[in-house]
Amino acid sequence: MIAGLRPMGVEKLWVLLLLGPTLLGLALGALGSIFATFGLSLFRWDLLTPPVWAGLDNYIGLADDRMFLRSLGNTILFSALYVPLTIVCAMTVALLLNRRIHGVGLFRTLYFLPVISSPTAVGLLWTWIFAQDHGVLNGIITSLGGDPVRWLGPRMALYSVVIVNVWGAIGEGMIVFLAGLQAIPREHYEAAHIDGANAMQRLFYITLPAMAPSLFFQSVLSTIHAFQAFDYIYILTRVGNGNSSVPTLVFSIYRNGFRFFRMGDATAQAIVLTAIIFVFTLIYFRIQRRWEVPI
Amino acid sequence: MRGNTRIALAALAVGLLAAMGTARAETEITYQLWGSPQEAEAWQKVATAFEAQHPDIKVKVEVNDWDSYWEKIRVLMAGGTPPDVFAMDAPLYPDWQSRGVLLNLQPYIDAEPGILDDIYPITLEAYKTKDGYFGLPRDFQTIVLYYNKDMFDAAGVGYPTADWSYDDFRKAAKQLTKDINGDGSIDQWGFWAEVVDPEPYWGAVVWSYGGDIVDPAAGKTLIGSEKAMQAWHFIADMWLEDKSMPTDEQLRQYGTDGFQAGIAAMGVSGHWSVPDYAPAKFKWAVAPVPKGPAGRVTSVNSAGFVIAKASKHPKEAWEFVKFAFGSTGQAELAKIGLAVPIRKSIAESPAYLDQASAKIDQQLFIDALQYAHLKPVFRGYEEWSAAVGDALNSAWTGTASVDDAIPEAVQNGDDVLAKNR
Amino acid sequence: MIRIEPAPWESRWPDRLAIVVLLIGAVAMVGPFVWMLSTSLKLPEDQYARALIPPTITFENYGTIFDIMSFHVLLWNSLKIAVISTLGQLLTCSMAAFVFAIVRFPGRHVLFVVLLVTLMVPQQITAIPQFIIFKWLGLYGTQAPLYLPSFLGGAFGVFLMRQYFLTIPIELAEAARIDGASLMTIYWKIYLPLAKPALAAFAIFAFLFSWNDLFTALIYLPSDLEKTTLPVGLALFQTQYAGHWTIMMAAVLVSVAPIMIAFFIAQKHFIEGVALSGLK
Repeated sequence: MIAGLRPMGVEKLWVLLLLGPTLLGLALGALGSIFATFGLSLFRWDLLTPPVWAGLDNYIGLADDRMFLRSLGNTILFSALYVPLTIVCAMTVALLLNRRIHGVGLFRTLYFLPVISSPTAVGLLWTWIFAQDHGVLNGIITSLGGDPVRWLGPRMALYSVVIVNVWGAIGEGMIVFLAGLQAIPREHYEAAHIDGANAMQRLFYITLPAMAPSLFFQSVLSTIHAFQAFDYIYILTRVGNGNSSVPTLVFSIYRNGFRFFRMGDATAQAIVLTAIIFVFTLIYFRIQRRWEVPI
Repeated sequence: MRGNTRIALAALAVGLLAAMGTARAETEITYQLWGSPQEAEAWQKVATAFEAQHPDIKVKVEVNDWDSYWEKIRVLMAGGTPPDVFAMDAPLYPDWQSRGVLLNLQPYIDAEPGILDDIYPITLEAYKTKDGYFGLPRDFQTIVLYYNKDMFDAAGVGYPTADWSYDDFRKAAKQLTKDINGDGSIDQWGFWAEVVDPEPYWGAVVWSYGGDIVDPAAGKTLIGSEKAMQAWHFIADMWLEDKSMPTDEQLRQYGTDGFQAGIAAMGVSGHWSVPDYAPAKFKWAVAPVPKGPAGRVTSVNSAGFVIAKASKHPKEAWEFVKFAFGSTGQAELAKIGLAVPIRKSIAESPAYLDQASAKIDQQLFIDALQYAHLKPVFRGYEEWSAAVGDALNSAWTGTASVDDAIPEAVQNGDDVLAKNR
Repeated sequence: MIRIEPAPWESRWPDRLAIVVLLIGAVAMVGPFVWMLSTSLKLPEDQYARALIPPTITFENYGTIFDIMSFHVLLWNSLKIAVISTLGQLLTCSMAAFVFAIVRFPGRHVLFVVLLVTLMVPQQITAIPQFIIFKWLGLYGTQAPLYLPSFLGGAFGVFLMRQYFLTIPIELAEAARIDGASLMTIYWKIYLPLAKPALAAFAIFAFLFSWNDLFTALIYLPSDLEKTTLPVGLALFQTQYAGHWTIMMAAVLVSVAPIMIAFFIAQKHFIEGVALSGLK
């Protein structure tokens, strides 16, 4: 359990003051998002006419909804690849950058660039990179004697999309991990060195446990990003008329709510999405508690 | 209170009253539409001309891209603050009208006898309901064939004529598909098209083979009929066998429009592409779409005006619609060159025919009305189109054959039609 | 590229390897942007040229985009809102995070979890209920819905700062408390200064989030190219200029530049953190 102070007397007032704005935001946010979304999922609503009670019909209908099932499958597969890849890559980069090398500031900026780019434009650029005949990647492959790959074709599209999203997210994790790495006191490493620990042991027994809070944070966040992934995927797999060859959950939600006049279905799908993420978060909570090493 | 303070307060009060007073003399209405920055400018001109005639009404024009536009309209409607006038795409009109959020314009139309006389009748059809008109067309689009003269010349192929059949078309496309720079991969195709939405290409092909697209009243998607399957086989053969059209992946390397990118010798589109193609470095022209076994058929569609039922200024909104629907407004819009005016007297005048956008056969777009079928207009259109499109896509990416994909499309489509009864 | 002061327990070999790996990765990270820059400096007819250095270098694309849209106005609008939002977030999130990390109060875990859940619902869905709330508050048509929520905390910020605060030993707070310091003092004078790296990191994210926000700006601001923000204008721009890569890349670079500058400023504080290894 996390240690803490018990507020006494006047301190309770401070607690309220410090926590106040967030509590208010939470109330509005919880009202605006969780309750409203769940509430709406029990109705049939087309945004224009008053909602009509539907009970659990929207949820039951999901089992037959081919597009929803397809989107769910894509999203789960996508996340299974995206989350581990992002965390491992981001942590590696952060560890590498935590050393005192010249040019560390420049590297940080470079690795952060993908994060600050707008998905729409950079997404278009990636369609170019993945292009079948004239793309950069296939250009490299053919010059090495290989056959061009259909990166955005039906088989590879999901994996290509994972690559782009990981590319765009490494910088974010890197920043968080760097901040956490710098909080680890040097004395711990000194003590370990005196005890004769090698680099691998230092990594696993000092660094990673000390990074548990950041790892937890980044895992939850990555999972949320993974399940809510939309922008890059949509741009890379767009097929005429607002369709997509790799539909994801958020795409399905968006289409139902904002194109098909089916807000009830959309909110039901959103609740399913939220529930899945929530389950993962609980799992991460468990893992983190077991791993926590008091410093 | 001290004397000075009192005077100051009084002055403030007078000032406020004066400000409120002048503000009250003017009503402000908003007009929202989808479009480009250029369209925003053009509509601003129309708004200014309108304000000159109606000094007590101020019009705010707001433009967004297609996706953002529909998101915004929906949120505003759901939240109870819709714009006064907004743009509507004809196929989507029944979804909005049937949900009771549009103002019935019939009383206003009845009060102005003859206002609909000068309009092409087919453009009005989409907006007619048994209770009257809840919207009016703003401009229309017919699909024609665009062709790149330079590419035809280089390949020694004769330009498309009014006698062309789809077979002639297919033959020419094959001859125009080549590897120009000799690097082993094709970089010029005979034809490109978007084959998901019926409007640009496949709708016309199905119709000209004698098939039909959909019967919403009966809840039936008709693209699986025998005649329609012939049309589908034609499209699939030309695309997947002849390969005289780029695949989606190949196309996207060059942009979203193969003709504009200069990699396709022919394309099908409406008048909206004219300003896009005008700055092209190659010479191009337009021709009627080819003839099929059942004759020549093309698509006609329109964008329209609707007024929100919840608008606080319906009368002023109607004045603006009337203006943009009338001669002055239509003439101004003809100048942008994005669409064809729905008013005969303007469309058949130099304002449209001699427009600055491009020196091509503008009359063709009007003549196309004679053999045009209306793009399907029904409740649940977007959902239906997406469901059909999803299935079609599996045929075009090669994951399913046309013979499997079309029945699936029909099934998907019928499911949607059933849901939207 | 040699180390400044090698520590006694670390050899030099991994450093060289690290640099090589980082360089390869950096090429992948930056490559697309270099390509974007290169394309934006090309003449429109050269846009498909495969050369990294444009055959003819021109700045005309940057001029063209300002002719089409007043990007400077959009940039200014976005900047105003982003700065206010970032300040609001930094303040309120760190305050709440402090309480979550330090103070034991009933329901603290449940509350935290509820906070997290609000992060999980996709934004497009929460848009409509929130719209109704703002309308009821009379704030529709103002810029308030874009920055006001920043002053009400936020799950991401509270989460981030809480995790960081948890790494600060509680003994500090306990000691200060014994000396008679109030919670506010502990927050303001001890925890906040120690959290500079995390604050800098969070500031970037908060700024980024506000800067890239398309949906809220679309709904609440009039779609008037003088009053709206950059993402809305860019969306309009991009649908129109889809095939014109040179112009598009110029527009994108112009919209990304301010964030890069903001990042550069903020990341200096990271480096300070390196010098402050450990606790004083």
